[in-house]
Amino acid sequence: MTANTLTVAVLGAGTMGSGIAVTAARGGHRTIVRDVDDESVRRGLDNATSFLRKSASLGKLTEQQAEAAIANLSGTTELGDLAGADVVVEAVYEDLELKRELFGRLDDVVARDTLLHTNTSTLSVTAIASGSRYPDRVVGTHYCNPAQLMKLVEVAEGRHTSPEATKRSMAFLDSVGKTTVVTKDRPGFILNRFLIPWENNCIRALEAGAGTVESIDKAVVGALRHPMGPFTLLDVVGLDVHKAVAMRLYEQLREPRFAPPPLVDRMIAAGDLGRKTGRGFYTYDSTKSFGA
Amino acid sequence: MTVFSRVAVLGFGTMGGGIAQVVAGSGRDVVVLETERHRLDAGFAAVRRFLDDGVSRGKTTEAERDAVLGRLTGTTDVADLATVDLVIEAVTERMDVKADLLGRVAEVVRDETVLATNTSALSVTDLAARVSGPERVAGLHFFNPAPVMAVVEVVRALQTDASVAADLVSFTEDLGKAPVEVKDRPGFLVNRLLMPYLNDVVREFDDDLASAEDIDVAIRLGLGHRLGPLELLDLIGIDVHTHATESAYEATLDPQYAPPPLLRQMVAAGYLGTKSGRGFRVGTTEEGHSR
Repeated sequence: MTANTLTVAVLGAGTMGSGIAVTAARGGHRTIVRDVDDESVRRGLDNATSFLRKSASLGKLTEQQAEAAIANLSGTTELGDLAGADVVVEAVYEDLELKRELFGRLDDVVARDTLLHTNTSTLSVTAIASGSRYPDRVVGTHYCNPAQLMKLVEVAEGRHTSPEATKRSMAFLDSVGKTTVVTKDRPGFILNRFLIPWENNCIRALEAGAGTVESIDKAVVGALRHPMGPFTLLDVVGLDVHKAVAMRLYEQLREPRFAPPPLVDRMIAAGDLGRKTGRGFYTYDSTKSFGA
Repeated sequence: MTVFSRVAVLGFGTMGGGIAQVVAGSGRDVVVLETERHRLDAGFAAVRRFLDDGVSRGKTTEAERDAVLGRLTGTTDVADLATVDLVIEAVTERMDVKADLLGRVAEVVRDETVLATNTSALSVTDLAARVSGPERVAGLHFFNPAPVMAVVEVVRALQTDASVAADLVSFTEDLGKAPVEVKDRPGFLVNRLLMPYLNDVVREFDDDLASAEDIDVAIRLGLGHRLGPLELLDLIGIDVHTHATESAYEATLDPQYAPPPLLRQMVAAGYLGTKSGRGFRVGTTEEGHSR
């Protein structure tokens, strides 16, 4: 490891948080996972640890590398334990007030030059940064799910982010093997900005009888060579998640193309959320989601 | 029973050549119509290059290549199409040109010969209305490159006879492609979905959301697409996409299809993508600015 060893704190031990923790720990950094209760912290660390062990058994990492990464991981429920962090990556629930409040409390805990990263996918980096007294150190770093496998991170500066903070953030992301793209603090950044209207259009085409679930998926995979058709992808993402993301973009952009079409509401009402419930646009024998 | 054993392809450009190769590859005899001898020569050379490349990469054999080429003939005389069972039109995307040519072909071929158009931008119903025997007209929309892409849209015009559509579905399957039956709506299915997405990307790129390269990298890595949207536009041809989305906009007045101003400017400047050496990614720095 040639890069400096940093102390990285990850707020939130859910799917994204534990994936980011794996990324940081595997990149050689001391990594502290923080969530509000012991049970959540334990589950997040367990998921991270079992992913790293599995990576070793699949030959993606050596036993030594996996054990070193696991040794880099620790957990806490106390914000005060993050005092020595060089980078804090916030990956809590997508709630603006919660994120702002956390960054405000962190101001009293961490050093002045500690970087505050938000993994928000749909909220404004500027709005989240306004929770800190030092918004110059807040940077949007949007990881893709599953964060421990996907190389891409979208980097977005808030209105008050300093170029220095962005530069250090890019260096950190580089040290953990991520490929960064630079985008603006605009709703949905690059990926969701283009993905959400695309998927909504596919749903509307289905509603309009332009094709069936199967024929639209087949046409998109066959003609555009996407890895998954739109309905297969929506089932993986979850209809409830799609709706939440689409609504947040719609509320900010006020363009109807971002609003989830009525079929999404009907499917959610019926409990057909996708793979995780065994039924969405398709039906599934197993509810095990990919990456789990 | 073989569906459509003798096939004519009108036009030996990129699409016509790809389609002729695919149909000949299924064991059928194909006659290709062009306006001039040198265009036929260029078309044959392109098909040969594609097949040679396939041989060198182990995708096909020399014997198969020679068999495919042996089943292709070229002509500049419409009268030579008299005996075909199916005509696939793949000439320039202009209604007057297509209607005029199909009208002349219709006079030569049998009344029951199926007339298919590979248009992606025009209404098949409009075209059928200009040809005698509109019930035998349908769309057969191949994607570029035709020998590679697994899907073909079978487009039913308002006038298309159900048995004609069914035969084209069987024919498509026999070519080893997956048919997707679609109504004659602007963009059919795939382009109806693709065009608003590409327009969206062009608009946001013009509004400085990110560099052209970063947009492509994000889509490739984040969504697993083989090509980012801006490199895809360079390949499609910025003029081709602009024309298609203009047609869809005229037909629907749906603002999603309205071509963003940057597209028209690039066409005006001659920045057409790969084929002109300058587009969103081709011939630019990584930021998408001119070099």
